[in-house]
Amino acid sequence: MERTCPACGTALNSPLVCESCGELLEPEPGLTPFAVFGLEPAAEVAADALRKRLLALTRRTHPDFFGSDPGARRRAESNTAALNEAWDVLSDDIRRANWLLGYLGGPDEKAERDMPQSFLLEVMEWNEAVEEARAAGADTDATRTLTTLEAELLAERTSLVTRIREGLLPLPTDTDRLVELRRLMNAVRYLDRTLHEIAELRLSHASSR
Amino acid sequence: MPFIELDVLNNKVDGILGIDLGTTNSLVALWREGRPEILRPADGNGQPLQDARIPSVVHYPANETPIVGRNARARGIEDPERTIFSVKRFMGRGLADCTDDLASTPFAATENENGLIRFSIDERGETPQEISARILHHVWENAGVALGMLAPRRAVITVPAYFDDSQRQATRDAARIAGLEAVRILNEPTAASLAYGLDSKNHGTVAVYDLGGGTFDVSILSIEDGVFRVLSTSGDTHLGGDDFDRALVETALDELRERIGLEAAREPAFLQTVRLAAERCKIELSRVPEADLHVVDVARGLNWRRTITRADFGDLISPWIERTFDACRRALADAKLTPADIEDVVLVGGSTRVPVVRERVTEFFGREPHAGLNPDEVVALGAAVQGHVLAGGTRDVLLMDVTPLSLGIETMGGAVSKVILRNSPVPAQATDGFTTYADNQTGIDFHIVQGERELAKDCRSLGRFKLSGIPPMPAGLARIAVRFLLDADGILTVTAKEDSTGAESTIEVNPMHGLADDEVEGMLLESFAHAKEDFDQSRLANLKVELGTMLKACRTHLPSVVDELDPEARLDLEEAVAAAEAARTGDELAAAQKARDELERASLPLAAILMDSVAKRALAGKNLDEV
Repeated sequence: MERTCPACGTALNSPLVCESCGELLEPEPGLTPFAVFGLEPAAEVAADALRKRLLALTRRTHPDFFGSDPGARRRAESNTAALNEAWDVLSDDIRRANWLLGYLGGPDEKAERDMPQSFLLEVMEWNEAVEEARAAGADTDATRTLTTLEAELLAERTSLVTRIREGLLPLPTDTDRLVELRRLMNAVRYLDRTLHEIAELRLSHASSR
Repeated sequence: MPFIELDVLNNKVDGILGIDLGTTNSLVALWREGRPEILRPADGNGQPLQDARIPSVVHYPANETPIVGRNARARGIEDPERTIFSVKRFMGRGLADCTDDLASTPFAATENENGLIRFSIDERGETPQEISARILHHVWENAGVALGMLAPRRAVITVPAYFDDSQRQATRDAARIAGLEAVRILNEPTAASLAYGLDSKNHGTVAVYDLGGGTFDVSILSIEDGVFRVLSTSGDTHLGGDDFDRALVETALDELRERIGLEAAREPAFLQTVRLAAERCKIELSRVPEADLHVVDVARGLNWRRTITRADFGDLISPWIERTFDACRRALADAKLTPADIEDVVLVGGSTRVPVVRERVTEFFGREPHAGLNPDEVVALGAAVQGHVLAGGTRDVLLMDVTPLSLGIETMGGAVSKVILRNSPVPAQATDGFTTYADNQTGIDFHIVQGERELAKDCRSLGRFKLSGIPPMPAGLARIAVRFLLDADGILTVTAKEDSTGAESTIEVNPMHGLADDEVEGMLLESFAHAKEDFDQSRLANLKVELGTMLKACRTHLPSVVDELDPEARLDLEEAVAAAEAARTGDELAAAQKARDELERASLPLAAILMDSVAKRALAGKNLDEV
C-alpha cells in the first residue's frame, strides 16, 4: 500500500517521516519493527544498510532538531523512540528471530522449555566449570579452562544462529518448524546465560588483579 | 546563516550557553562565528583570561552575601570552615549515600523527609542544589562580562554520563534556582566527543576517557557522517583527582600524626593546609619527575617535607587508575568491542594531565591518546556545539546518546524486571507485561527503579505509582502493559494500562532526593531576581573605564590638530567630551551608553585627521612612534 506525504505529496519510504520535505508523520498504531524501517518481515537484514538507514532516518526525526515547537518535539521524541525500539529488535539475530516467531504465531519464550536430557547435562557441566573458576580465582587452570569453554560455546552459538536463520528461510508457517525454532532459541538462551557469566567473571577477575 | 545573533536593542546575546558544571572547576562556552568559543572575561590588564576556569567553590562570610569562584577559593584557604568545595558530590544524594564525603565538609548536614541534604551554615540552611545554583549563577555572570552584554539564559549543562536520574534532576533544579533554563542535560564524555569531532576526523570508533576531580566516565562512540552515536558508557561517580590528592594527604598524615598528635592532625585548618600541599605536589609532578610534599604550619613550628617521585605517586594512585579500567572493560564489553577496535582515545578532565594516568591509558588501549585538545575545556566547548544544534543553528551534527543505567520495575519478592536496558539509545520506549498475583485484586502498586543490581532495594528508587480500577478476576488473568518512555532529556514517563477495561495510570517520574516545583520557586535567590541590575552595574563600570580611555585619547590629540578641525565638528566634539565627563561621574547606564556612542561619533573627524597625518608623516619617512 503506497502512502504519500500529507504535506508535499511525495511517496513515502518511511511511516515516521517524509524524507523529501521533512514532515514528521503520525505512524499508525501497531507498526512492526520491519515496517518502521520500511521493510517486509524477513529472516535476514543487511546490517550495514540497516545502520545507514537508522542514521539517515534519525537525522530527520531526532528531537534535537525540533526544539522550538513542543508539538513537533513530542512527535519527534515518539518517532525516534519507535526507531530505536525497532533497531533494537532488527539489529540482533536472536531478538529478530524471536520477534518473527511471535509474528508467525509460533510458541513464545515460556513454551518448549523441555530440553533434551543430554543438553541439560551439558549445561550442568558448564555451570560447574564456571563455579570452579569462580572459586579458584584469576590466573588458575580452572579459569584458563573457561577460555576454552567460552570458545566452544561461541562456536556452538554461531551454528545455532545459522540453523535458526536457515529455519526462517523462507518464513515458515507449519507448527512443527516453529516449535523446532523455539527449541533452538531456548538452547541459545542457555548458552547466552553461561557466556554472560563467563564475561562477568572475567571482568571481576581483571578488576581484582 | 548568522552564527551569532545580537539583540542590540536589549543589549543581550541570543543562543544557548554550554556550561561544564564541574566538581572542582566550571567553565562556560558559546557558539560564535562558526565555532564554539570559551567565554573569557578580561583580566586586570584587559586581556582575555588564559585560564577561564571558575572554581566550583562557595564561601559563606559571617552575615554577608556568599562569595563564589576564585575569591571563594582564596578565602577557603584561609577560612575552610566557611567554605564548601566539591558540592557536586552531594547532588541528588541522601545522607546515607555520601558519609565519606560528609566527613570532609565543614558544615553539619541534615536530611529532610524527601531525603534531601541540607547544610547548616550559621543560621542559614542550603541544599546542594542551591549551592550549585550559586555557582551556575556566577558562571552565567562571567559569561555576561566576557560577552559585554547580557548572556543567554538558556544553557546546555553537562553532567557525568554515569549520573543517575536524581542527580540529573538535581542539576536541572539548580539551573532553575539560578534563573537559567537547562535546555539539555548532556553527558560530559559525549560533549567532549563533539568537540573532538570538530577538531579531528569525523569517522571512526572513539573512546572518551574522562577523569575529573570527583567522577570518572568512559564512553565508546561511533562517529559516522557527522552522527555521533554512543555505543556504551560506564563510570564511577566517586572516583577522581580528589582521590589522588587524598592518597598524598594520607601519606603525609601517616607521619604527621606522630609529629603533632592525633587531635591536631584532625583540625580542619590543618587538614586544609595538607590538602593544598598535596594538590601542589600532584600538579608539580605533572611537570617534573619528582616533587616535594611540603607542609608548613608556622603556628606549630612545623616544616615537614618528603620527596615524591612519579613512580611513588604511580604506586599510590594505582588502585584508582585500575578502577577506571574496570569501567573501561565494562564499556568495551557492552559495546562488544576490544581495546584494539578503538581507533582514537580522547582524554578529558584535569586528572588526565597526570603523566602516570596517560601512560597507563596508553598501555590499556595500546595507542597514544589524541593530542591537541585542552582536557579542561573540551567539555564546555562540546556543550556549546550541542547548544548550537538545539538553537536550530545546524543539522550537520547529531548526537545519539544512551541511557547509562537500566530502568525497571520491582516485581513480587523484591526482584527487578528491567524494562529499558542500560546503553539503550534515547529517546527510548519499551513495554513490559504484568499481571495480578491475588484473586480479585483491583489495584497494583508499581515501584520504578534505576540500576543494574538484581534486587530493587539495591537500586535507586525513582518513584511509585498505583494502577487501580482493575476488574475483579482470578489471579494471573489481568493483562497489564507497562510502557516506559524515556525522552532525549532522560525524563521518564511510565504508563500502566489494563487491557480489558482500558484503566490507565500515568506518571512523570520525579526522583527521590528531588525538589518539588514550589520548593524550587521558594529557593529562587533574591539576588538572582536582581540579576539584570547586577549586570547593569558591571556594564556601567566597564563603560566608565571605556569612557576614561576615550577621553584621554581626545585630550592628548585634540590640541595638536585643533586648527585642522572645522568649527562645527570641533563644537560637536567639545560637547560630546563634556557629556562624557558628566556621564563618567554619574550612575545612569543609559546615559553612559549614549555618551559613549556620541563621543565615538563626534570623534570620527578627529580620528580621520589623525589617520591622515599619520599617513603623511609615514610617507615623509618619519617613524610612526613619533606621531
